[in-house]
Amino acid sequence: MYRGPVIDCDVHHARATDEELLEYLSPAWRVYVSDRGPAGIMPLTVQDGLPNPHGFMRADTYPPTGGPAGSDFATMRRQLLDRADVRRAVLTFGDDSHVAGHHNPYFATELARALNDWSIDRWLSADLRLASSIIVASQLPDHAAAEIRRHADNPRMVQVMLVDNPFNYPFGHPVFHPIYQAAEETGRPIAIHGGAGGWTNPASTGGGNVNLYFEAHTLWPQVVMTHLVSFISHGVFDKFPGLRLLLIEAGSAWLPSLLWRFDAEYKGLRREVPWLKRLPSEYVSEHVWLTTQPLETSPKRDQVIELLSWIGGDRKLVYSSDYPHWDADELSHVSSRLPEAWHRRVFFENALEFYGWTAADLPASAAMAET
Amino acid sequence: MSTDVGAFAEFTDGRMCVIGVGGREIGIARWNGTVYAVSNRCPHQNGPVCAGILSGRLTAGAPGQLELDAEVPILACPWHGWEFDLRTGKALHDLRHRLHIFPVRVENGRTLVDLGTASKVAMG
Repeated sequence: MYRGPVIDCDVHHARATDEELLEYLSPAWRVYVSDRGPAGIMPLTVQDGLPNPHGFMRADTYPPTGGPAGSDFATMRRQLLDRADVRRAVLTFGDDSHVAGHHNPYFATELARALNDWSIDRWLSADLRLASSIIVASQLPDHAAAEIRRHADNPRMVQVMLVDNPFNYPFGHPVFHPIYQAAEETGRPIAIHGGAGGWTNPASTGGGNVNLYFEAHTLWPQVVMTHLVSFISHGVFDKFPGLRLLLIEAGSAWLPSLLWRFDAEYKGLRREVPWLKRLPSEYVSEHVWLTTQPLETSPKRDQVIELLSWIGGDRKLVYSSDYPHWDADELSHVSSRLPEAWHRRVFFENALEFYGWTAADLPASAAMAET
Repeated sequence: MSTDVGAFAEFTDGRMCVIGVGGREIGIARWNGTVYAVSNRCPHQNGPVCAGILSGRLTAGAPGQLELDAEVPILACPWHGWEFDLRTGKALHDLRHRLHIFPVRVENGRTLVDLGTASKVAMG
C-alpha cells in the first residue's frame, strides 16, 4: 500500500446547523432568511429529489457530538487527515455545493459569498492542510466572476467549483465565460463536480429525468461528459488558454472511448467548429485532469489500467476520497487497484502540478499542520 | 508523363468534374483560375471524394466568428465530411492524411496532368 504524501482532491465539508451560516450573510439577507416567524429559517440548501436508501453519507462519519457528516473537523481529522500522510485536502462543500441550483439568483449569489467566507473562517483556520473550493452562483456569471476575484489573494481558495447548472446549456456555453475569465485571471482551475439534479438543473441525463437514485448515480458521468464536450466544442480552451479543468466524481474509464469518438467527429465536422485548432483529445491532454473516485473496477485489474493508460492515467488522475460520502474510496483500495509505478504521481504529484503548487507550499507533515 | 485532360476553358470555376484516365478516376477542379487534379479516393475509407462539396475554407478566430477564406479550395468528402486542401491534398484536421494530388499545368490552353510523379498517398 502507498504510504507517501497524499493530496485528497474531494473532501466534503458541511455546516452543523443553518445558524452557522447566518452570521456570514449580510444583515438584510439574514432578516430575509430568518425573520419568518413560526415558519423558521428559509431552506438554505437545494436537495436533490432522489434519495439514497443508505443515506448519502457513510454512517460511521456522523460526528459523535452530533450534526451532519462532514460538519466536525475533529472527526474528519481522525477519520481522514491523520489516517495517512495527507498534506492537503481540497474541500468541496456538501449540500451547499448545489448553490447554483437555487431558483433565486440573487439569494444564491449571497449564499455563495457567505459560504466561501464560512469555509475560510470555520475550516481553513483549523488546519493548514485544508484548502477550499470557491463555490459560485453561476446564475449570475458576472457576480460569480466578482466572487472569484474577491479571493484572488487567498492561496488556499484553490479552485472554482461548478456543480449545478442554472441554464439549459452545458458549461461550455458563452454565458458561463465570465467565470472562466476570472478563473484564468486569478490562476484558479475550474472543477466540475458530478451529481447535480432537480431544481434549476436540466434533465439529469441526456435521455430524460431518471426515476431512481440507482439510475442517477450510474449515469453521473454522462452529465460530466456533456460539460466536457461543451467546453471543448465552444472553444473555452482557445479563449482561455491558461485554464485547467478538473472533473470530480465522474470516474475516468469512459474518457478514452469518448475521445476516440470526439476526435472522429471533429474530422468530419470541423466545418462547424473552425475555431478549434487541434483535435479534441489534444485539448483534453493539455487542460483536463480527473479524480480517481469512483474508480471503475474491471473484472481484471489490468483491464481498467489499460483503458486509463490511453489517457495517460499516470499523469492525469488525481486521488480523491469523496469523504464522507457513502461511496467514498479508501486510499488503500485505490492503492491496490493502481499500478505501483503510478502511486506517487496519482496520490500526490499530479495534484501538485494541476494546482500549480510545489511540495514546499504544503505542510510538511501532520504534526506541523495545526495553526 | 503528362496527360491532356481537356481545354482549360472547358472547366468551370468552382466546379469539380471527374474523368477517367488510364483506368483511374481523377477529379479536375478549377478554383479562382487555377486547376487542380486529385485522385477520386479519400484516404479515410476510400470514398468518392470528388463527389463532395467544393468550397472556400471556413475559419474562425473565435467561437462563432466565422470567416471565409475564398482563396483556399477545400474539398469535403461526401462520406463522413473530411475536408482537404486541394493545394496540398492535406486534411484540415490532421496533416498526416492526404489526398493523392497530381501536378497540373496549362499550356496553349490545354490542361496537362502529370500522372507519373504523384505525391505519395498517406493512408491511415
